[in-house]
Amino acid sequence: MVLTKETPGSAAEAETQAVGNVVLAVDALTKRYGSLVAVDGISFQVRRGETFGILGPNGAGKTTTLEMIEGLRRPDGGRITLLDLDAVRRRRAVQHRIGVQLQSQALWPELTVEETLKTFRALFRRKLPVETMLERFSLGDKRRSLVRDLSGGQKQRLSVATAMVNDPEVVFLDEPTTGLDPQARRSFWDLIHDMSGEGKTVIVTTHYMEEAEALCERVAIMDRGRIMAMDSPRELVRGLDFDNTVECTFAGSVERELLLALPAVHDVKKENGAHFLFTTNVSATLAGLMGLTDGGGERVQSLQVRTATLEDVFISLTGRRLRD
Amino acid sequence: MNFRGFLQLVSSQGTILRRNTGFWVTSIMTAVLSMAVFGWLFNPDTQPFDLALVDEDRSQASRTLVEAFEGIDSVETREGSRDGELASLQDGDLGAVVIVPEGFAADLGRGSVTLPVYYDNSNPVRIGYVTTTVNAVVDSYNDQVVGQSSAVTVQQRSVSTKNVRFIDFLTPGMVGMTIMWVNLGVGFLLVTWREQGILRRLGVTPLRPGSLIASQAVSFSIVSLTQVTVVLLMGHFVFGVDIHGSFLWLAITVFLGVMAMLSIGYVVASLLKTVTSVNAVINLVAFPMMFLGGSYFPLDPPPALKPVIEAIPLTHLNDALREIVNHGGGLGDLWLSWLILAAWIVGGFGLSMRLFRWQ
Repeated sequence: MVLTKETPGSAAEAETQAVGNVVLAVDALTKRYGSLVAVDGISFQVRRGETFGILGPNGAGKTTTLEMIEGLRRPDGGRITLLDLDAVRRRRAVQHRIGVQLQSQALWPELTVEETLKTFRALFRRKLPVETMLERFSLGDKRRSLVRDLSGGQKQRLSVATAMVNDPEVVFLDEPTTGLDPQARRSFWDLIHDMSGEGKTVIVTTHYMEEAEALCERVAIMDRGRIMAMDSPRELVRGLDFDNTVECTFAGSVERELLLALPAVHDVKKENGAHFLFTTNVSATLAGLMGLTDGGGERVQSLQVRTATLEDVFISLTGRRLRD
Repeated sequence: MNFRGFLQLVSSQGTILRRNTGFWVTSIMTAVLSMAVFGWLFNPDTQPFDLALVDEDRSQASRTLVEAFEGIDSVETREGSRDGELASLQDGDLGAVVIVPEGFAADLGRGSVTLPVYYDNSNPVRIGYVTTTVNAVVDSYNDQVVGQSSAVTVQQRSVSTKNVRFIDFLTPGMVGMTIMWVNLGVGFLLVTWREQGILRRLGVTPLRPGSLIASQAVSFSIVSLTQVTVVLLMGHFVFGVDIHGSFLWLAITVFLGVMAMLSIGYVVASLLKTVTSVNAVINLVAFPMMFLGGSYFPLDPPPALKPVIEAIPLTHLNDALREIVNHGGGLGDLWLSWLILAAWIVGGFGLSMRLFRWQ
């Protein structure tokens, strides 16, 4: 499932569209932990109503970036303008108008669903009725259940409900589907579509490229504290110099030069014993690969052909896979 | 945050504390069991009492009776004047005063005489012991000396004393102890919230650390006041422990104790990262404090230890509670303890506000 509400003609055009309707502007944002640069001077903008993804492996700096925007960590450099306010200096004013779901489902196990919502409502000036939240997140029949007795999916819904209790203009979701089973993940995606349908700006981090493709109008690919590329998922994939990826493993070792010389192969990356051949012509490459084996070369152990995805964008940018 | 929001936060935290039974059950059970053990099973007050004898007749007959009392092995006796010994009894230094009145020998010659025995009515166990002992001496005097069984009859006169029994001493100490345990527990609560990511979650809301701490102070005060009420009611109705002082002074003292212990809990939670380490440090702080603070036993410390004991907040909490409960103390007796507790509160909260981190 690939969802794109709007496909900008080019990245440059997207930038011009953004002006005047920017909800979040991050400029040269930096965070260091000792000698480690966790976030290395990144800049990006998010438009009102947009669903924006930050895609990257663990440790890329996604969470640190969100935490600085949400007011949980102080940046070491750069500026964050959120809802036309300086997000660092006007932290609390901003926090009244945003909703945040952190990586861990931070809920009190001793409270009931209803008590949890009431507690979070108490923290905000603007707030929606508890009944509305219970109904919207299908928690009505669980209102008197203790959080510790809820299922994983119910906890997840409650956790999002606590983030939406102040009817926020911008919603931040930090790896919201990590640890969820595929079905719960799908229904969570529906929740995000609903938010987006209400006109909320959604900013989501993930290390699942399917998720970024399914949810986000634009994606920033982040690695080692830097943004490597930023565009709509479709444009990012189209921007690759190849159409397909042939992933294969061999019984023994094979020279990279040999693979690079195969027909239509644009580039070769090796990761964890697997070779990734980026090709503009699958059949030509496969024929070449078979010929290589027939000619007394190493035997192919496994072979997988797929259309290029965001994962390949990441691999071609970094030489590594998103997930280890 | 408006007032309704604040009340909601207080109520939610009260619910969390109530459902975290380990928080308050352990401390209240320790207090109740301690009172039961020292009040019923092992009562240090049942040990032999002191008996004062006042011989106002100074006759042969009265001398014989006094010597009969002095002959009891298990009782420490002394002789003195009526006023002096009755005053001693009032101060709680004696178990009973036997007065052999003027005209004792003459009345005895006419057939019968009453012997007034004053005793301390605050201690039911001791009353029984006094009565039995005195009656035994009088009976044998009647039989062996006079030869007529009802010649001398005992006339018991109870005297209200300010005698501080061990249970009277212990009850305020148990109040202090429960306040200490429950409120140091805020450190455990806070570090649990930090581990569960709840503090981080609160950190992305407009909630101010000051509002959170204030609401916790109110929630913990309510829990502590409830526990204090239970301990004092049990002390009063089961063991006859009277509260001589003002309930207002008592409430103020409890509140100061709550805040002082909370502030220590916050400092511990700010300095340490894991639940296990906070748990260990709280125990390391609480157990010595419980004994050095004099919750269980009156202390007679060596001079070297005195400054330590004087610095411990629980010492002053217990002192103030005992001053109010046992002696009906007023501001003049309480101000120093209050001042020292206040110093702990200012120092502890000052430090923990500086150290506070949402994550």
